[in-house]
Amino acid sequence: MNWFYIEGVLILAGINIIAVLGLSLLTGFTGLFSFGHAGFMAIGAYSAVYFGERMGLPFAVSVVAGGLVAGLVSLFIGRLTLKLKGDYFCIATLGFGEAIRLVLDNVQVFGGARGWPGIPLKVDLVTVTIFNIVGILFLMFLINSRHGRSMIAVREEELAAKVIGIDTYRYKVISLFISAVYAGIAGGLLGYYLTFLQPKLFGLQKSTEYTIMVIFGGIGSISGSVLAAFILTVLPEMLRSFAVWRFVIYGAAVIFIMIARPQGLMGGKEITLKGIAGILGIPGRNRKTARSGEV
Amino acid sequence: MNQILQQLINGFSIGSVYALMAVGYSLVYSIMNFSNFAHGGVIMLGAYFGFFFITLFKMPFWVAFIGAGICSMLVAVLVERMAYKPLRARNAPFLYFMISAMGASMFIENFVIATIGPTFRTYPQIFPAEPFSLGGIYVGRLDMMMFLISAVSLIALVYFIECTKLGKAIQATAFNPRASALMGINTDSVILTVFGLGGFLAGIAGVLFGMKYTVYPQIGFITIKSFIAAVFGGLGSLPGAVIGSFILGIVETMVSGYIMSQYRDLISFSLLILILVFKPMGLMGKSVEDKA
Amino acid sequence: MELLRLENLTKTFGGLTAVKDVNFTVNEGSISGLIGPNGAGKTTIFNLITGIYKVTRGAIYFQNVPIHDKEPHVIAGMGITRTFQNIRLFKNLTVYQNVLTACHHNADYGIFDAALRLKKFRRQERELKEFAGRLLELMELSGWKDKVANSLPYGLQRRLEIARALALKPKLLLLDEPAAGMNPDETRQLMNLIRRIRDEFGCTILVIEHHMDLIMGICDNIIVLNFGKKLAEGPPEKIQQDPLVIEAYLGEGGMPGA
Ligand SMILES: Nc1ncnc2c1ncn2[C@@H]1O[C@H](COP(=O)(O)OP(=O)(O)OP(=O)(O)O)[C@@H](O)[C@H]1O
Ligand SMILES: [Mg+2]
Repeated sequence: MNWFYIEGVLILAGINIIAVLGLSLLTGFTGLFSFGHAGFMAIGAYSAVYFGERMGLPFAVSVVAGGLVAGLVSLFIGRLTLKLKGDYFCIATLGFGEAIRLVLDNVQVFGGARGWPGIPLKVDLVTVTIFNIVGILFLMFLINSRHGRSMIAVREEELAAKVIGIDTYRYKVISLFISAVYAGIAGGLLGYYLTFLQPKLFGLQKSTEYTIMVIFGGIGSISGSVLAAFILTVLPEMLRSFAVWRFVIYGAAVIFIMIARPQGLMGGKEITLKGIAGILGIPGRNRKTARSGEV
Repeated sequence: MNQILQQLINGFSIGSVYALMAVGYSLVYSIMNFSNFAHGGVIMLGAYFGFFFITLFKMPFWVAFIGAGICSMLVAVLVERMAYKPLRARNAPFLYFMISAMGASMFIENFVIATIGPTFRTYPQIFPAEPFSLGGIYVGRLDMMMFLISAVSLIALVYFIECTKLGKAIQATAFNPRASALMGINTDSVILTVFGLGGFLAGIAGVLFGMKYTVYPQIGFITIKSFIAAVFGGLGSLPGAVIGSFILGIVETMVSGYIMSQYRDLISFSLLILILVFKPMGLMGKSVEDKA
Repeated sequence: MELLRLENLTKTFGGLTAVKDVNFTVNEGSISGLIGPNGAGKTTIFNLITGIYKVTRGAIYFQNVPIHDKEPHVIAGMGITRTFQNIRLFKNLTVYQNVLTACHHNADYGIFDAALRLKKFRRQERELKEFAGRLLELMELSGWKDKVANSLPYGLQRRLEIARALALKPKLLLLDEPAAGMNPDETRQLMNLIRRIRDEFGCTILVIEHHMDLIMGICDNIIVLNFGKKLAEGPPEKIQQDPLVIEAYLGEGGMPGA
């Protein structure tokens, strides 16, 4: 194992963390289930590379702009389906994710199914780390605000949320938007790291893989999502020979977690500095790990 | 003109198999209120069961066909017992059901990849390849059989739901689960029945798709068509699911025939979006209110 | 002063008319009772007032503003909130988080204020937390602050649901069978609590209850429903004597507790 390889895995982990953070907000905190995140990622990736390489925008600007495009598209889907009662949103995201792939397969300006090669490498560990830090902080601050609490209320008991004055529809849309922006940014970073894009990078498998990471980390835990995204990126890299059975095990594990431990890895708790201090035996005012929604 | 008619017939034939899938999915949805994403896995297994029954065990087609349906039924019931029942017992939120369903679907698909392998397999020729002519229109025998089998199955299903006690119990539970439980209807056996029926229909749909296309582990993805059809008709409505399936089947064959087959799926997804924009509750759906 | 007015309020479900041409008003500062046998349509009226059900016919006015076509969260924002007959807490959150979540209307910072931890966010958030803490104290729930709502004994869950409703600083509080499942002792405490809430929060209360001791003990005005229709209305003494009311309840085996 050389450093080059390790760095590559770490960058991929970082990119996955960003996408999973976004999905964590949507699924873990707001309680909405999406099959379309790979689609948002694809939109972010292709837009970012388009902005950067065809329009000549600076790297960071084009990646963020790519994320915003993904967010705008998500608003369209959200407005159509989030007011409806039932699984309309879920099915729409499933159709959307596939549709995006099919569209990209057929749009020749972006290289069609063969893909878009020759994207300059502009992502290194430092860039990814910066995006990660900003992404984690933003999410943490959001969750620990009245807006984040309202999203959690939607997940917990929608009707009760409504009668205490929470505009549940609006918060679902906001949550979807932010989560799509995260996915889009992750997509842009992926493009600039892999140096090529291909529609089949963004299949249904990718969406479910991210959902699995959220579930493993535990519904409603930011640190759990980060940890799970990291572990589930690194581990398979180390166990490559095991690859065929990986998703069999994931599938079984997901069912098991839902049945036995829906809190996942972190049990709905967050790793906090105070908590770490507590475990290490450093005296502090509060030794408990704080529950999500409270720091 | 003849060509249009021919496409129409093909559309009906594909649509009828979509209906088999969509009806099973909608049945479960109407009782459990969540999308059973493991449905696709059951369809895929049905296709494999049928394939191996015929090629490996040399069973006659109809035995293999019914056998595949029954095995798929058992799988669907097993999935319910393993992945959903514990959640029901805990009154878990719908989100958990959907996630569990996703897990089940992933498990089934990848288990098949890991054990049987990812290769495509072709059913042996069951029905003669040459089409027969109906007043100048040529219809494939397989397409004809697909339509007939599906139609018979759907009619049998309607009979079951309308005319048997268990069928009436299903209707009552779909309408008002709490009240029907109070009236002495055993919710658990209703749920088992629904999964069993859905599983059987999914299994035979799998065999039909397997014969029409090929068999491969991702073939279950075709259930996305049944979800779309169900949204067309209004989630949870059985007649809606059937009508939606036929519309989808016809539109798809028309697009493949007249525009380009590559755009077939894209058109289905666009239709989904159009329906959501203009008739969000579907053709037969009713708007529901929260219950407090 | 009239706070809430129902005019010919009607709600049908398919063929079933759950509420039929109901008229009544609730005066500001009062404690009013809504009673009637099972299935009379009481909860349905709450669902109509809070916008969870769409009104089939008729109108609802709150401070003379029509609210029957508004969405639940808008109605809540205007100052009407409620508890549920089958408790609906945020089950997996702590007692404190339940109340804090409901405080969100008492602040107006935006998402970016929060994301950038601007001064406005920090100040308002501090105020929210202080308010939530005080509310828990007032409702004698401070000792349970960090317990998960689901783990609370039944009676406390009901009290927490009221506390959560009060976090909105409502003008009108609707309580749906707050004493259900409580023993006489707890019921008496609850009566005191409801009076205290009216006095200290200055809010008007409309309560559904089957415990007649509670209804007769605290209500200024009582509305009786039967089969979706208003059967009688008046102060406790009058309702207790009303032959129609007695008959409606006799059909159910006598007036409970009266
Ligand atoms: N969402 C709904 N769909 C269909 N019928 C409903 C619905 N909600 C209420 N009903 C019916 O309306 C009638 C009145 O119900 P409601 O819950 O208002 O009664 P209630 O007076 O609160 O009774 P209880 O004392 O038992 O709580 C009942 O017959 C009930 O079945
Ligand atoms: Mg009631």
